[in-house]
Amino acid sequence: MLEGAEFYFNVDHGYLEGLVRGCKASLLTQQDYINLVQCETLEDVKIHLQTTDYGNFLANQTNPLTVSKIDTEMRKKLCREFEYFRNHSLEPLSTFFTYMTCSYMIDNVILLMNGALQKKSVKEILVKCHPLGRFTEMEAVNIAETPSDLFNAVLVETALAPFFQDCMSENTLDELNIELLRNKLYKSYLEAFYKFCKNHGDVTAEIMCPILEFEADRRAFIITLNSFGTELSKDDRETLYPTCGKLYPEGLRLLAQAEDFEQMRRVADHYGVYKPLFEAVGDGSGGKTLEDVFYEREVQMNVLAFNRQFHYGVFYAYTKLKEQEMRNIVWIAECISQRHRTKINSYIPIV
Amino acid sequence: MGSMFRSEEVALVQLFLPTSAAYTCVSQLGELGLVEFRDLNASVSAFQRRFVGDVRRCEELEKTFTFLQEEVWRAGLALHPPEGRLLAPPPRDLLRIQEETDRLARELRDVRGNQQSLRAQLHQLQLHSAVLGRGHRLPLAATPTDGLLERTPLLQPPGGPHQDLRVNFVAGAVEPAKAAALERLLWRACRGFLIASFRETEQPLEDPVTGEPATWMTFLISYWGEQIGQKIRKITDCFHCHVFPFVEQEDGRLGTLQQLQQQSQELQEVLGETERFLSQVLGRVQRLLPPWRVQIHKMKAVYLVLNQCSVSATHKCLIAEGWCAASDLPALQQVLQDSSSEAGVSAVVHRIPCRDMPPTLIRTNRFTASFQGIVDAYGVGRYQEVNPAPYTIITFPFLFAVMFGDVGHGLLMFLFALAMVLAENRPAVKTAQNEIWRTFFGGRYLLLLMGLFSVYTGFIYNECFSRATTIFPSGWSVAAMATQSGWSDAFLAEHPLLTLDPAVSGVFLGPYPFGIDPVWSLAVNHLSFLNSFKMKMSVILGVTHMTFGVVLGVFNHVHFGQWHRLLLETLPELTFLLGLFGYLVFLVVYKWLFIAAAAPAPSILIHFINMFLFSRSPTNPLLFPGQEVVQSALVVVALAAVPVLLLGTPLFLRWQHRRRSPRPAGRQLDEDKSGILDSSDASVAGWGSDEEKAGCPGDQEEAEFVLSEVLMHQAIHTIEFCLGCISNTASYLRLWALSLAHAQLSEVLWAMVMREGLRMGRELGVAAVVLVPIFAAFAVLTVAILLVMEGLSAFLHALRLHWVEFQNKFYLGSGYKLSPFTFAEEED
Repeated sequence: MLEGAEFYFNVDHGYLEGLVRGCKASLLTQQDYINLVQCETLEDVKIHLQTTDYGNFLANQTNPLTVSKIDTEMRKKLCREFEYFRNHSLEPLSTFFTYMTCSYMIDNVILLMNGALQKKSVKEILVKCHPLGRFTEMEAVNIAETPSDLFNAVLVETALAPFFQDCMSENTLDELNIELLRNKLYKSYLEAFYKFCKNHGDVTAEIMCPILEFEADRRAFIITLNSFGTELSKDDRETLYPTCGKLYPEGLRLLAQAEDFEQMRRVADHYGVYKPLFEAVGDGSGGKTLEDVFYEREVQMNVLAFNRQFHYGVFYAYTKLKEQEMRNIVWIAECISQRHRTKINSYIPIV
Repeated sequence: MGSMFRSEEVALVQLFLPTSAAYTCVSQLGELGLVEFRDLNASVSAFQRRFVGDVRRCEELEKTFTFLQEEVWRAGLALHPPEGRLLAPPPRDLLRIQEETDRLARELRDVRGNQQSLRAQLHQLQLHSAVLGRGHRLPLAATPTDGLLERTPLLQPPGGPHQDLRVNFVAGAVEPAKAAALERLLWRACRGFLIASFRETEQPLEDPVTGEPATWMTFLISYWGEQIGQKIRKITDCFHCHVFPFVEQEDGRLGTLQQLQQQSQELQEVLGETERFLSQVLGRVQRLLPPWRVQIHKMKAVYLVLNQCSVSATHKCLIAEGWCAASDLPALQQVLQDSSSEAGVSAVVHRIPCRDMPPTLIRTNRFTASFQGIVDAYGVGRYQEVNPAPYTIITFPFLFAVMFGDVGHGLLMFLFALAMVLAENRPAVKTAQNEIWRTFFGGRYLLLLMGLFSVYTGFIYNECFSRATTIFPSGWSVAAMATQSGWSDAFLAEHPLLTLDPAVSGVFLGPYPFGIDPVWSLAVNHLSFLNSFKMKMSVILGVTHMTFGVVLGVFNHVHFGQWHRLLLETLPELTFLLGLFGYLVFLVVYKWLFIAAAAPAPSILIHFINMFLFSRSPTNPLLFPGQEVVQSALVVVALAAVPVLLLGTPLFLRWQHRRRSPRPAGRQLDEDKSGILDSSDASVAGWGSDEEKAGCPGDQEEAEFVLSEVLMHQAIHTIEFCLGCISNTASYLRLWALSLAHAQLSEVLWAMVMREGLRMGRELGVAAVVLVPIFAAFAVLTVAILLVMEGLSAFLHALRLHWVEFQNKFYLGSGYKLSPFTFAEEED
């Protein structure tokens, strides 16, 4: 790629960038959240959302309103916007969009395989699948019995195919293996996405690489955290870490040896970026969870992505911010519907 | 017309609506459109207001209406807007409407659901028969496969264990878009242990949901082995295929086929019955829905207004606040009394004093509306500011006509506008949706006047389609010149151009009675004569127009009681404008009247330049004795007016402020008292004050007096005015330029098209034939270029002259319109 995106970026992607910035401006404001938190019932939430950019998106829902209906409709709305972006995009932005959908596709595949393992019907699980990660062959996932089967029969034509190269094995798909498969897939997906952004250069690389590095490191931390007390060996654990983050290589090696949260925190202390995050984590009951802290950091990075122009990161950032907003609304709605108002304020503010 | 001069008096009123009658009161007010309600609950969020439940119910109903409407549209029927006036229904009717709507919606949903499921069944049957129908032709179409199948059992006996190996079939249909993916997936997943053949259905089938015809791919998969069969079934499931039992024997298939056809016939009958019932229900919806929609819409609007009211301490009544024209107050009182008479307690309205600037209300009729529109497009006037619209009625068409002067073109425009005016009551004209047409139609009275004035200026310029007319005998006599000067034949042959000398007796008989003498159209110096005339005319019109603007400012100052501005602003402004440019106009007129044609003409331009330089040029004769003294005096006075304009108002205000400040408390009290006693006076005095102009609206007394702010503001105003006088005068020269361009363009059109055509055929027949297309071209070009294009450009320039040159002399245009709560526009 040539340097100086500003000269030609708008020719192909100017319209979409304008559009996505407009969409970003329609994210809920702090005042909106304050109003939402005051709502007494889900109907109130609906009325309030009507005054925002969500508009009449719940108008055709039959009563009674439930949180899952709100969630589904919000997802549909995001999906419509995303599809619009994607249908109007040109290369290489369309590849970028494909990369963005891959993470949802991975989640959906894993979800379906887990469902097949528990002998649930496909339809039941399809409802839970994220609409951004939908693809035609998705429902055929359960005919596969081994990862290579899965690859050869079902996924070879999809965008996920390249990520399968590292995880072809003849193991039967039990719960642990599926989880390993997910993480391996995610690892190679992140690495490929990172490489794509790096190769693209320009502002896109400057914006997207830190975001993806953070994403990789976050996964590494989370994998570590989740593997405490499981049968996963330390070597296996290390193979799951995405290698495109700031932790690579020394940090990951240390992380692979960690045995409890304290040791993990000590690893993080070596890195200026992650030290404050771990310090912000509260202990036990009171403070924030590690997950929340990571989310906050992610929101912060995504908001900052809008400060630069002429890059693809805004699309990624917008989707992530919108997702966070949806999580917030769902959280608030859940708190309201379960009359559990004490924790209603622990949504992640988008500022 | 009295209300056109300045906006009407608008009062802030407080309405006490008894709770039981509040709804009827507000709905009556909505019908009449008298009051603009203010939101008294701005701090309360939407879902915490009093009537949120009712609003929600209305919305709920509207949701159902949308559903019904979509169903009606889907059936290809139209909804007609209801006839007559529908009042907002009483609140208890909401329940009835809701019930009926729900019942209709339920019925419709049921019938629609039945129809859907019947259609889906029919679709299924049709697909099945398509699959089977295709299947029984398979032996002919795919002989090799068939041959293989037949031969297989023959080959198998030697391999005894495979005796039970038999071919199974899966038959079904899939959407064509997915067929290729399905085939590939089948191949990959089953590693080729199957034979699949795909074929499109011959006839497109109606889609059960959308009703659109679509072709499907039928497929027949033959496979060996049970495991493969399971896989195939899973895959076909995931592609949402319709899979049908496939009987291997041909006669069995034929039997099933017949059975299917019989079933589908029966189904179609049932379907027909259902559709008849559906259309009945839809007919009912069609009849009932439009009036309901209007009613519920009104009801919702009423509740939204009620949500803006605050509740009195005793909960017995609602208190609303709003703006209402003072002249409408009795009507308002009457309406409130009438509509609350049932409730026993009467609703009350009374004026309350206020400090906010009231909205502007100028009532228009269909004639004045377009002119007011021109002014409002620039900016809605401040409350009670002098409204330029009444003057615009005449000046706008006149300035337009100066640029568009041509009898013929003006007449065409006039007739077009006249036709629109005469046809304005026809419903077809009124309801036309074309946007361009509506623009023209909206400005029909404007066009009428513009056409009329163009005819007038056309006579002045003596131009009709660029030709001069000889209504009166010309003031110049060529015959007299020829006899007196004794031009010989040789002289005439040598000189193609001859000069008429007005000094020769009998050649110039006196000025033409009206407009330009037609003899000029024959002269070669026609253009330079007209240029001089039109340029001077533009300056005269411009200076007059601007002076008028400054004078209009006087009415503002007098009305708002700012007498100091009369002396410190209007007077210096007038001195400056008239001393410099008024004098120029004087020179022009003086030269026209008193300098004889024969005498050497003094140059006004040189005189005007010398006036500023305080010098004189010896070659330029004076117009009148003592001219230099007068000129010097005028320049000095005009320049002396500038510092007065610059410093007068700020210094006066500072003096006034200083005088007041020692006893602020007492004044405050005075002010409050007078505010209560005579609210209208106090409020009127408030809005014109300079403190507000300086950027602190609202609390005028309390606002601290910042000298630098006021000075800055006044400096900007002064610079704008003084420079504006020069540049605006120059700007009026566009009158000259545009009228020249128009005249030249129509001249060119005549010379290049019409004259060529007239010259072409001398014989009668040829001329007649040639002139038809030539005239057609002339007519089209006249309308397209001279009327539409030139008309638009002249309109634009007239608009600019009004907005910039005229209105900036006195008009602030910083107000906002009174937009009363009314149902009128909500109905469409």
